[in-house]
Amino acid sequence: MNIRGTIKITPQAVVRDGQTLPTTKHGDALLTECYRNSHADYPKYFKMDGLCRLGFVASELLLMAQAEERFQPRDDRAVVLASCHGCLETDQRYETTIDDNDNYFPSPAVFVYTLPNIVTGEIAIRNKYLGESSMYLFEETTSEEERLQLLQILTFEDPMTTSALIGWLNYLDGEHYLAKLYLITNE
Amino acid sequence: MEELIEQLKKQIIEVLNLEDVTPADIENDAPLFGEGLGLDSIDALELIVMMEKEYGIKLKNPAEGKEIFKSINVMAQYVNEHRTK
Repeated sequence: MNIRGTIKITPQAVVRDGQTLPTTKHGDALLTECYRNSHADYPKYFKMDGLCRLGFVASELLLMAQAEERFQPRDDRAVVLASCHGCLETDQRYETTIDDNDNYFPSPAVFVYTLPNIVTGEIAIRNKYLGESSMYLFEETTSEEERLQLLQILTFEDPMTTSALIGWLNYLDGEHYLAKLYLITNE
Repeated sequence: MEELIEQLKKQIIEVLNLEDVTPADIENDAPLFGEGLGLDSIDALELIVMMEKEYGIKLKNPAEGKEIFKSINVMAQYVNEHRTK
């Protein structure tokens, strides 16, 4: 496995390929600051839930630093991520729209994010990746090495895949999240 | 009616998370879907929920939304005539 790039985002900082990127905000506001700084011009960002915003921003910052043409349809790149909380934050938010019989207004816009693999789909759609797209739920106690190894094995089981965005994406709330993504190739 | 139009614009921006849009950006006669604000089918469902929650208007047939959400003017007219709260 060859690692071509890495990104780590916490509520406090963004580190890409070992370099801390200049930011001024923290928490959810940090993600939106990164989105605006990336000049992604993707208004759908504002409709996304926290997990998707985190994954979107992490993938944007990672991929924009790569010397490769983007947004060309390709079926040899996969997006395979793992999480321990999945979309729990959105599930809870959705529940608030349906838990009161006298105020029962289920939100379609929140409901669409009540699946943890929506984030890998969002990244694949944005980048026109037609390869494998999966989100796995791992125990929180799984070590980073184990996660990476498992994801790598799962990813390259598909013979079509030559490169992939893999890694850890966990969003508990606006103050507690972690993205650690890698762009890898099977060379 | 002007007050209702302004209120609808603010509610649409809030409910649909149109972060970079202000009420002034929404033209009263411009289509809300397609070329207008670029809203999608999930936004349409969210607007149907908003109509019921805020104005007590229950759209039983989602296809009705296509006509009602044509523009802010059309929407305001419909709300004005059918609101129960």
